[in-house]
Amino acid sequence: MPLTPMEIYKLLPKTNCKRCGEQTCMSFAFKLLNRDKKIDDCKPLFEEKKYEVQLKKLQELLKPLEKATETGLIVNSERCNGCGNCVVVCPVHVERDPRGAGIGKGPLIRDPIYRIENGKLVVLNVHACRRYGKNRILCIVCRENCPTDAISFLEG
Amino acid sequence: MICTGCSCLCDDIEFENGKILNACEKGFRHISGYKERRAKNIVNGKEVDVDTAIDKALEILKSTKKAVIYGLDTSTVEAQRIAIKISEKLNCYIDDNSSFCLGEFVEAILKKEVPTSTLEEVRDKAYVILYWGTNPYHSLPRHMSKFTYYPRGSKRNRGYDEDRFLVVIDVRKSEVAKLAKKNARFIKVENDIELIESFLKAIEGKASKYDVAGILREMKRADFNVIFGGLGLKYGLKGNYSYLYNLIKKINEFTPLFFIPAGFHSNMRGFNETLFEEVRAINKFSFLEKKSSPSFAFSELVKNENVDVAMIVGTDPLSSLPYEVSRKLLDMKKIVIDPRETITAKIAEVSICSAFSGIETEGEMVRSDGIRVKLSPIDKSEIDDVYIFKKILEGL
Repeated sequence: MPLTPMEIYKLLPKTNCKRCGEQTCMSFAFKLLNRDKKIDDCKPLFEEKKYEVQLKKLQELLKPLEKATETGLIVNSERCNGCGNCVVVCPVHVERDPRGAGIGKGPLIRDPIYRIENGKLVVLNVHACRRYGKNRILCIVCRENCPTDAISFLEG
Repeated sequence: MICTGCSCLCDDIEFENGKILNACEKGFRHISGYKERRAKNIVNGKEVDVDTAIDKALEILKSTKKAVIYGLDTSTVEAQRIAIKISEKLNCYIDDNSSFCLGEFVEAILKKEVPTSTLEEVRDKAYVILYWGTNPYHSLPRHMSKFTYYPRGSKRNRGYDEDRFLVVIDVRKSEVAKLAKKNARFIKVENDIELIESFLKAIEGKASKYDVAGILREMKRADFNVIFGGLGLKYGLKGNYSYLYNLIKKINEFTPLFFIPAGFHSNMRGFNETLFEEVRAINKFSFLEKKSSPSFAFSELVKNENVDVAMIVGTDPLSSLPYEVSRKLLDMKKIVIDPRETITAKIAEVSICSAFSGIETEGEMVRSDGIRVKLSPIDKSEIDDVYIFKKILEGL
């Protein structure tokens, strides 16, 4: 299920107490999803007993965040069969490795984003991904072409 | 190295720090697990050395006049050649899995009834890529990413969403059908022959049951289109292969369309080609009657009790063939030559442990599009199919 700021916001105290440093709980939810803030920054959630159930739900909801890379990518290895569609379609690979991954072979460059190791997809160099950094593009080409939905992104 | 896990024969498999790179899961399991569950040399339940097992196999082969050699789809071309010589000497039947797999399509290609091409050409030039009755996600995992839809070719370098048109024809929404999104079509087919008729009607500009006029329009735009036919297509045609060949011929009158079979054992096409070179037939061949016939298919021979000895190489009929066929295997003598322990080997009189082609033995294999590939093994085994077959041939 996609993780959205709204889903997170619903479980926050919604009091806009500003103790986390943010103006509103909604903006805190955004920062939480982008991993600029941590759940511990929301003090009332931990201090007040009435939020106990909400806190548990929120921690459960945010669990995929731990598995995701800095680009919000989650690879479900159990579903992956190593077909390599993601390696070949990746626009960064095509640009940097036109004689390797660009024409369907295994990557020839040293630091590809993706590589198939032991029959499963491995994320090697997330920094090269178009989704990384400040000027990111929300590229989803690899996810679109995964036949088993082994690749997913936090935003859904 | 070359992966021999399926008929893609991927040539870019590498090793780094104990990891196998670039191979799909199927290939990885094939390469990494070659030492596990190895077969044993067994004669009547007792473990023996390989030469004793071969001697016993020879004894069984000499004692009969109704033998069949079956399998060979994962052996190298060199081994297949010797196996054909053995069956010639024994005047017996020879068959492989292609009799119920895609043999008919390979036969049409070898007899030049349909135009075909290579996967490299497909990568460089193909526009409309049509998967008909096959799901390469399971049978040939890297087919789409390495050869067909996704790679950028020399004449198709703008990527799959602009420079390719994918058509998936299947009875269900398979994994590959899910990939047919932008610039693509998925046709859920109920009757393949009706679909062919729809294509023929659309060529004449008439309305038809399936909406295929758009696909033909796309085909007309390009100078290279290809159909990958699988088992779903073969069984959907119900024996009327000429329907399909006629359609391909008709389409070729206005735009080039090629046909490549997709989805079988690593060297099934190698067996078909090797036998075709020798006897002008691709499978189901009897050296006694010097002809090929549907009644000489392994399953038919066993079902009708026409043979009493079967030499089974690199395949497991007890687990892959229907019960009514496989139960009759119990009544005949079996010689199983396989690197892996199989269920058939457990009930066989003689079981001989062979080597994995491409991992432990060198040689040549034929890819699904007919390109010959030289294997590059990572290990060495003295006792392989060639050794065993040579010994048997000498003994005969």
